[in-house]
Amino acid sequence: MAMENLAFLIPLLPALAFVLTFFLGKKLPSGGAIIPIVAIAISCVISLAITVGLLQNPEHFVTQSVHWFAILNLGILIDPLAAVMLSMVSFVSLLIHIYAVGYMSHDPAKPRYFAETALFTAAMLGLILSDNILQLFICWELVGLSSYLLIGFWFHKPGAASAAKKAFLTTRVGDVMFLAGIVLLFSDIFTVFNGNLPEGVYVLQFNEMFKLIPDLVAINSTILGMEVSHLTLVTLLFFGGAVGKSGQFPLHVWLPDAMEGPTTVSALIHAATMVTAGVYLVARTFPMFIAAPDSLMVVAYLGAFTALFAATMGIVMNDLKRVLAYSTVSQLGYMVLGLGLGAVIGAEAVGVSMFHLINHAFFKALLFLCAGSVIHAVGTHDMRLLGGVGKVMPITFATMTAAALALAGFGIPGTSLGFSGFLSKDPIIEGAYLFAESTGNWLPYLFAISAAFLTSLYIFRLIFMTFTGKPRTDYGGHESPSSMTVPLAILAILAVVFGALTRTSFYHFIEDNFVHLDIEALAELGGYHLAHHGHEPLLVLWMPLIVAVAGLVIAYLIYNRRVVDMSSIVSRNNPVYKLLYNRYYQHQIFVEFFSIKIIYEGLALAGFYSDKMLDWLVNGTSTLLIEAGDSLRKFQTGVIQHYAAAVVAGVGLLVILIKLVMEVF
Amino acid sequence: MIPLNWYLGLSAIVFSIGLYGFMSQKNGIRMLMCVELMLNSANINLVAFSSYNDDMTGQVFALFSIAIAAAEAAVGFAILMSIYRMRDMIDVDKLNILRW
Repeated sequence: MAMENLAFLIPLLPALAFVLTFFLGKKLPSGGAIIPIVAIAISCVISLAITVGLLQNPEHFVTQSVHWFAILNLGILIDPLAAVMLSMVSFVSLLIHIYAVGYMSHDPAKPRYFAETALFTAAMLGLILSDNILQLFICWELVGLSSYLLIGFWFHKPGAASAAKKAFLTTRVGDVMFLAGIVLLFSDIFTVFNGNLPEGVYVLQFNEMFKLIPDLVAINSTILGMEVSHLTLVTLLFFGGAVGKSGQFPLHVWLPDAMEGPTTVSALIHAATMVTAGVYLVARTFPMFIAAPDSLMVVAYLGAFTALFAATMGIVMNDLKRVLAYSTVSQLGYMVLGLGLGAVIGAEAVGVSMFHLINHAFFKALLFLCAGSVIHAVGTHDMRLLGGVGKVMPITFATMTAAALALAGFGIPGTSLGFSGFLSKDPIIEGAYLFAESTGNWLPYLFAISAAFLTSLYIFRLIFMTFTGKPRTDYGGHESPSSMTVPLAILAILAVVFGALTRTSFYHFIEDNFVHLDIEALAELGGYHLAHHGHEPLLVLWMPLIVAVAGLVIAYLIYNRRVVDMSSIVSRNNPVYKLLYNRYYQHQIFVEFFSIKIIYEGLALAGFYSDKMLDWLVNGTSTLLIEAGDSLRKFQTGVIQHYAAAVVAGVGLLVILIKLVMEVF
Repeated sequence: MIPLNWYLGLSAIVFSIGLYGFMSQKNGIRMLMCVELMLNSANINLVAFSSYNDDMTGQVFALFSIAIAAAEAAVGFAILMSIYRMRDMIDVDKLNILRW
């Protein structure tokens, strides 16, 4: 099909748009926004066409590959997993670009903004359709770079500059682990082939890697007295990369600070691109994870813990965007938990997790864009200063409510009726129950269900505090222009109906991703036995909805009816509130204690000694040279006769040498 | 016909006189004259070989070398003239400002 041959244009067009906008943007109307919009629109059309082609013919993956050097290649692999991601990323990114035309209309640095978001989109699309882990890593780093540029877009604000640095450094920790994973994997593949890598086979291609899984499982090494399979190590290191990129505990600290950028950037980072990269990496290498004992367990526990941990902080934040940031961290926790459940539900885990990822992309982008619409109109992030915004901005209010209902997960269990967030979050919680039942690990389920309650609580707290009641300050405000409200409406429709329309076909589609692999055999390598959906008790099915409604009701009573006086709870004297409000003192622990006390001072101490050493080396070299020069320059007497004598002596020496060595005479 | 060796002997003697003069004299003009002597000893060699081998190249080369010697002498004397104007003497061993 012709469309498949155009697949390489998907990342290339936005990359081209980056260059064009960067250099020509100033001369074009509205900062050259039209270039990235057209480029991404074409990418989106190609992606959708390929997705449709795959839907009709699911086993016919798009694969293209060109030789790079040695045993490495550059290539494209579009299987169902990549296809849905491509469509989602290009589509959401397109809407955000259109929205940004209105949102950024007052900013003088528009060309730079649109160039950087185009680069961001190009890097993310390139990451998704990579067919080998090295190419994926390169794009992964590009995504990190462009996120740094965008978070620090308003670099003259000290907060934005330091947030950008924090994001870059924190994700770097994960990136280093990811790179270490690739290096270890490569050396293990080398071992498998005894150093004779086969000709014409690109061993870092995903499908080649997956073929080698049984061999990799056999390689063990002993760490701290424990026998560890190298596959477990590799997958854990990959997961380390995902933890950094997808904001899982303990590397989530950069994500709330990333709110310093423009709101459109937050939407792009949190909904469509950067944060999903980590989840995508785990989904992409899922066959390796499922064959690795313990890795998936770590994934499940960490995901569930992050979901709860972030949600608890979400309920005390007063900044619109920070609430949404913690919400993102929490929802990413769900996705990671969903992947971790692969130990029990097999390849279905990828479908469940990706479904939540796609739905989350729609409703979280919508939430951010709604928040951006409010901020654009009233000029403040602080919910305490708002209230009653719903009357001035009815479209924003309606779309935000739809997004909130989707996030909180309202729907009727056992049917396909419900908001998209319900239809994707529910299977994860259900899966967690199954996981608990068959492995005896109840904590992930408990974390997940408590987080569902808190999710509903914090998002309706946000809705009630911002949109209902009486205005608490005189903020003015108006409904946003149509370039902003139209994307809102499109996203709202998707957030409401996307899940219900695509649920069954989506799962089948993603399961086709691994038709070429025997997932059950791989799971047995990992020592798992896949469970099948039994009949969960009715209470388990209804539990997510019950806690969601409970959250809504409590939020309504407290923040709208004000039946409870919050001032006694929201005070510095309440230790729980203080703990949450200070975000578990993460800043103190990570930055002030860990970074400054240990690392910085350690480096300073090491630096002191290394400086001494270096000084000695540098000064020694120069002293030696000066002394040598001092004695050697005595040869330059300035008397011409001496030079002539030297020339004669030299010629004489040469003659003698020639006589001795070459024996010409 | 005079054997080749005699010419070479003459050339060697003239060269040695030039070298001795160059290394023992302080006066710049004398030194230049000695340099000319050394150059011309080389010219004698060139012409002698040319004549004995029936090859004109050597004589042509000698002409070149005489022309270069003339140019070199002109430059050398010009430098010595300027030095004489600055310092009222042309003793080369006193001109040692370019050393350590």
